[in-house]
Amino acid sequence: MNSEFRTFALGIIGVPLCLIGLLAMIYGDRTGATLAFIADRTPMLLTGSPDFSSLQGGFIANIGMSLAAMAIAGALGIILGIGLIAEFWPTRLLSGFVMNVLRNSPWLVVLYAMLYLLPFEMKIFGVWITISPVVKSIAGLSLPVAANIAEIFRGGIEAIPTGQWESARSLGYRRLQILRYIVLPQALPLMIPNLMTIYAMLFIGTSLVVVTGASDVLFVGRTIIETAGSSTASAIYIYILFLFFLFAFPIAILTRWLERRIGTVSP
Amino acid sequence: MSLDFSWLSDSLYQRWLLTGIGTTLLMSLLGILLMMVFGIIGAIFLHFRTPVLGTITTILVELFRNTPPLVQLFFLYFMLSSLGLSLTDPATGRSIPLFSGFTCAVLSLGLYNGALAVEIIRSGLIAVPAQTVEGARSLGYTRFQTFRHVELPIGLRLSMPAMTNNVVSLIKTSSQAALVAVADIMYGATQIMVETFRNLEVMLLIWLLYVVIASLAVWILRRITILFRIPGYGVDRP
Repeated sequence: MNSEFRTFALGIIGVPLCLIGLLAMIYGDRTGATLAFIADRTPMLLTGSPDFSSLQGGFIANIGMSLAAMAIAGALGIILGIGLIAEFWPTRLLSGFVMNVLRNSPWLVVLYAMLYLLPFEMKIFGVWITISPVVKSIAGLSLPVAANIAEIFRGGIEAIPTGQWESARSLGYRRLQILRYIVLPQALPLMIPNLMTIYAMLFIGTSLVVVTGASDVLFVGRTIIETAGSSTASAIYIYILFLFFLFAFPIAILTRWLERRIGTVSP
Repeated sequence: MSLDFSWLSDSLYQRWLLTGIGTTLLMSLLGILLMMVFGIIGAIFLHFRTPVLGTITTILVELFRNTPPLVQLFFLYFMLSSLGLSLTDPATGRSIPLFSGFTCAVLSLGLYNGALAVEIIRSGLIAVPAQTVEGARSLGYTRFQTFRHVELPIGLRLSMPAMTNNVVSLIKTSSQAALVAVADIMYGATQIMVETFRNLEVMLLIWLLYVVIASLAVWILRRITILFRIPGYGVDRP
């Protein structure tokens, strides 16, 4: 893990230095006071509460939403991916259409569409359930990601030589059985780096949920800027950039290392 | 649920949407130009293993790749607009801010997708066959001439499929510019929604518009790839 380790060391030291340098450049001799201000608001930005006492949003909510959206997108993506490789051509055509539309649409637009498509509350089994902005955000984020996962799924399965399918069929396996017992166990490890790339993209995309009114880190940050004055805006945004970097960068490095070990190149 | 698209016949809304499409296309085009400039410069620094500049490029690429473009845009917008630089419009004599929302959006698109482009172009350069490079060197080309006439032209062609994805990503990311009040498609849509309350219909139309623009970009880039293809390098039928 030589070249990855070098990049990791460079990034994890260089980027914070770069951001602190930027901070010092903007604030001049007020840098110390600004850093103290940021340290004071850290619990607010991380958990949404002033003293780590409860979880009301913030950066932890971004992580939670990304994990939930990834789980839903994984399930949807596999269903869509199976549709993409179906033998029945109308299924294939329809899945391909859905996949392309979802992949080519901006996440922001899908989020807005979900915001208005899903009702404010819904009746499930006689119980009224309120659909919170967080739920709408998760739904909106998981749709485009599901399309990407479906494409990765299809690519991974097509990377397995067709001889595997033919020999399994001659042994009497049915189509779904071949997929379940022969092809997927070989294809899944190949898909892992690509899935991790998608997860990193999704995590970075959670910053968009600010438009739905869910209290993510950007929402909390903007509230702080509004109460503390716009002179703090640059500092708060630099800090949010740093938080996202701290979480996404190790994932990116791990992905590259895995890619090199498995010997695949992400699209 | 019934969909009502009668608001589409209003000429005011049509104008808003058309201006929005124009702004989005212009913003994306300028963003793509800036992205290619940043991408090629960064790839040169990394490819020639320039001592200090190479390290700085690596750090900046990792910074822009691993943070949300939306936060980058907000940061640029607040930081640059607080500098208060402005230039005078020669036609009207009015003073317009140098770093308007539009400029910041183009800059942020160029930086974020440019960081992705650096890696794409670099892997394109690595994929150029070693024999071709050695052949150029043995014909007496200098290191820079080899790069300028052999490695870069072939490398850029080899990176076209990945670059197509990056351009689509740039067009999609450009919708964020509406959040700093750039009058693009998204902004026009929010304006129409505020007036008509036809939220869902407007969003569906915008969704369709973006899919059409992205598909068009994919088609154009595929034509370009085929047009500039050198037989024997890269995929035969892209």
